[in-house]
Amino acid sequence: MLFDTHPKVSVHVTQTNETYLCANNESLLRGMLRLGRKGIPAGCVNGGCGVCKVHVLAGQCQALGPISRAHVSAAEEAHGFTLACRVAPLTPVQLEVIGKFEKPFCKGFAAKTAP
Amino acid sequence: MGISRIGHASLRVMDMAAAVRHYEKVLGMKKTMEDKHGNVYLKCWDEWDKYSLVLTPADQAGMNHVAYKVENDADLDDLQKKIEAYGIRTTVLPEGTMPSIGRMLQFNLPSGHEMRLYAMKEYVGTEVGSTNPDPWPDNITGAGAHWLDHCLLMCELNPEAGVNKVAENTQFLQQVLDFFLTEQVLVGPEGNIQAATWLARTTTPHDIAFVGGPRMGLHHIAYFLDSWHDILKSADVMAKTKTKIDVAPTRHGITRGETIYFFDPSGNRNETFAGLGYLAQRDRPVTTWTEDQLGSGIFYHTGEMVSSFTDVYT
Repeated sequence: MLFDTHPKVSVHVTQTNETYLCANNESLLRGMLRLGRKGIPAGCVNGGCGVCKVHVLAGQCQALGPISRAHVSAAEEAHGFTLACRVAPLTPVQLEVIGKFEKPFCKGFAAKTAP
Repeated sequence: MGISRIGHASLRVMDMAAAVRHYEKVLGMKKTMEDKHGNVYLKCWDEWDKYSLVLTPADQAGMNHVAYKVENDADLDDLQKKIEAYGIRTTVLPEGTMPSIGRMLQFNLPSGHEMRLYAMKEYVGTEVGSTNPDPWPDNITGAGAHWLDHCLLMCELNPEAGVNKVAENTQFLQQVLDFFLTEQVLVGPEGNIQAATWLARTTTPHDIAFVGGPRMGLHHIAYFLDSWHDILKSADVMAKTKTKIDVAPTRHGITRGETIYFFDPSGNRNETFAGLGYLAQRDRPVTTWTEDQLGSGIFYHTGEMVSSFTDVYT
């Protein structure tokens, strides 16, 4: 993006094989929204509603704020599950979208790539 | 007699300092009290009882309960009999259960949401007082919300499984708590599934609303503002404070309300709501919105549904 000099890392989404760049001070969701297509659900963006649940398969992230235990249990969090609106990547990241996120995400990708 | 108006909402927040900052700086509420459990109590400048919002520290977002004020203490006994006779169990929480409030009648709506009724809350007065008052005080911050206006609760709706908690709640509020229906959404092939309702006890188009969804939860709590221009100003406040706006200023077809939706720092949705829309009366004909015009009912200008508006809630 023009005038944006902040260093970025790449984030890879397993299901659709999409890659986007994300700064280490912005959320995984914010970066993902720049894919600029349908099917990326931005909800409350404050860790409460749970629509942007992801599973971080590889890479390190830092928390930007608390996430609701109604949507991500402590055990899940320990295994890399989190809400994309509340973590920023510190290294290149590989992730899967989870739960309510997955269906619209993949559908939006299919619509974009349809001939 | 009976329920007078909404009294307070008790919300779960995941970061208390951020939550208090939001309700003070964005809504313009003032913290009036904090108890030994870390719960924080706030009120708007135009409210006279000690609090209309309770924030409780938690590891998830959402609503603990919503409380309505009844006119007389004896109404609590009367309503307890009626609610129990309807088949809903009640509990009387003695004075002292929460600070600065009298005994409360506690029960769950058919949807599962906890409701409390009370007759007495500590009076502290509005910011402008009640003798020769100015129309507004000089210490308004943020949006300068006048008062907590209503709440919208998401209720389980699954017609295939025969579950419609919107209709069950609506019937209970009409038959037992003596609310009246102002507007409704009817959907389905026969147009007979009550998928959303707006009900009043006062003369505002709604003191509570129910919308169907996959699970119960809190859709939003709403605060009253005077005018369309106040809605614009509150959006400016949100831009200044980097508050996440869900739906930019617009008008609802339903209730005619002028509105903006946004999220608190835990993801609980708030609304600032302006204009009375119309004077709600018991004999006013019920407004019905049909499935094909629902988009216009919700967002009158675009006529289009925003998926986050119906899918995202705590």
